[in-house]
Amino acid sequence: MSRNNDSSAGSTNTFYIVAVAAAVVVSAVLAPVAYDYAQSAQSEGTVSVITVSGVITGSKVDTLSEDLREARINDSIKSVVLKVDSGGGAVAPSERLYLEVLRTAKEIPVVASVQGVSASGAYYGILPANETFMLSSGQVGSVGVIGAGGTAPVPDRIIRTGPDKAQPTTEQRRQQVESLKRQFVNRVVEHRGENITLSREEIANAKTYLGPRAAENGLIDQLGTLSVAIDHAAEMAGMEDYDIARKEPPRGGLIFFATTVDGQKMIYKQQTSNDAMAIPVTQPLAINELPYHDPGMGVDANASA
Amino acid sequence: MPMQVRELTAPAAVFALIVTVVLIGALVIPFVSGGTSPEVTNLAAEQTNTDSVQITPNTEEGNIAVDGPGPGESKTVLIDKAHSNRLSDEKLSTLTNALVKSGHTVQILSREQARGPAWNESLRSADAVVIANPTQPYKSGQLAGLEKFADAGGRVTLLADPAAISVGGGGLLGLSIQESSAQYTGLASSFGFAAQSGYLYNMHEYQNNFKSIYATTPAESRNPLSQGIDRVVLREAVAISTASAEPALNTVDRTVREPTRREATYTVAATSGNVAIVGDTDFMMPTNVYVADNEVLLGNLATFLVSGNKRPGAPATPDSNGAQNAGTSTGGAIPTAPTAPTAPRPGDGPSPSPVPESIIAPSE
Repeated sequence: MSRNNDSSAGSTNTFYIVAVAAAVVVSAVLAPVAYDYAQSAQSEGTVSVITVSGVITGSKVDTLSEDLREARINDSIKSVVLKVDSGGGAVAPSERLYLEVLRTAKEIPVVASVQGVSASGAYYGILPANETFMLSSGQVGSVGVIGAGGTAPVPDRIIRTGPDKAQPTTEQRRQQVESLKRQFVNRVVEHRGENITLSREEIANAKTYLGPRAAENGLIDQLGTLSVAIDHAAEMAGMEDYDIARKEPPRGGLIFFATTVDGQKMIYKQQTSNDAMAIPVTQPLAINELPYHDPGMGVDANASA
Repeated sequence: MPMQVRELTAPAAVFALIVTVVLIGALVIPFVSGGTSPEVTNLAAEQTNTDSVQITPNTEEGNIAVDGPGPGESKTVLIDKAHSNRLSDEKLSTLTNALVKSGHTVQILSREQARGPAWNESLRSADAVVIANPTQPYKSGQLAGLEKFADAGGRVTLLADPAAISVGGGGLLGLSIQESSAQYTGLASSFGFAAQSGYLYNMHEYQNNFKSIYATTPAESRNPLSQGIDRVVLREAVAISTASAEPALNTVDRTVREPTRREATYTVAATSGNVAIVGDTDFMMPTNVYVADNEVLLGNLATFLVSGNKRPGAPATPDSNGAQNAGTSTGGAIPTAPTAPTAPRPGDGPSPSPVPESIIAPSE
């Protein structure tokens, strides 16, 4: 009898231990969910932080447009912060970025936060932002366009249908680049409005400015870090408690090189990224710096275009 | 068996009902709440002020007119290509065509024709000489011959571009950097000109590019180069300093010279007696020559070249001591530049008239 009592008490204890352990495991899994739920129940919305970095290309703007569109459509996203570090890129993608940011800024607050550089095409892109923050060591500006002037003659064995086919004249290029510059300067003047103290000609000089000077001459609004920009974006959307959703650009692919050294396999990885490549100036670019510019390259590449 | 089927019928019906309700709901809700496509406004068109970004094409009209001496009087114009002069055949073609069309002769001076006494011989047979962007120095003998040529009524035209770094074949690692202005100093200064460093630009009034500046003639100018010109377009011009020469073309207001970035009225073309200088060669390009009044400037320049009255036989045959052999230690009419970069020694040559900034000429 007593042995029976003993054994039944022992199994009861075992059940307790299992139950407690199971409870701890289950609640450890559920607690974060509950915590998140409680927190997001308090949150009044989301600030979407969208990263704009590297050379502005068509495919990069495709991704950014998608992110911005999502921010406009998703009701829980109340404002957008553009986290920018780019020296510009091609003109047409820069204008596309500008228009997408403008479309977004017409619906929800958009705040730009310049991390390092936001020059040329990248500055073009953030023009419609409601507020622009940057660091004192950052650079903005370089409002201008660069493009190849001359074209190499198309060889006689190539048949063309007209004198301007695949061979614009220097004067035509000059006019195009001038037109693109005017558009760019017009939009800087329009969006920076009364803040800007520079004349059109001073803007068109295409200088880059460090943060303190840019805040003074009105190319940006004020100095501040990314977290300040996020907080400002939330405030503009009327949120005190908010979530942050980060949109990072897709990473460059990794190429693995494997080799065997003394029976051990060594793997070297090398990051491939579009940003490191030198861009030939075969088309007008809104870019701050050309990493390497071969005066002959643009001409040759153009002849085959 | 039938018992089991009947037992399953009710749950199956419930299942079907729920699925149907959910699917119908999913179908109906979008119709009730409206589509998700946002309204799209045409921002690209809204944000473009078409008028302000439209570039008016340049009007290209006019003719290159050379008013030369009377009919039948043909002049010979020498074009210096002996000093690795940077002047493309394209640019040269407009000037050559204008001259040939009005009955004059154009000769291209090769390196052989400029060596030693051949230089003065070449000059003797010519009425005018065009020197553009030399990249090799003129020997003191050559300079002396040129001065005598101009003194005797021969017309000299100097053309200068901003000292550009040209990347070409040869040289170390396939790169050779040529500065033209340094070679110019001795040449131009012996005629009282100096081409300033850097290019001119204007951010306010320009033709489609800040480096394509406008130049106009000074008020009431009687300079032969300025006749009939309202304004010309110079694609990449240098400013010309001169103490005594008469300006033929000055830049418009707010033109700036690159390295100093000072706004001023810069002279880009001037004449002094029989010598003319133009701080640009791009206006001679076939694509630029009819823009604005560029064709008038080219015509004036050609007219200037052929309207001199040179004394026959000038420059005279050199003295017996071999003044033409530049680079040797003694000179004839003028002191030659020392071969080493040391200060000129006054007692080195017999001549009493030193050249204002003779250049250091390495012997060939």
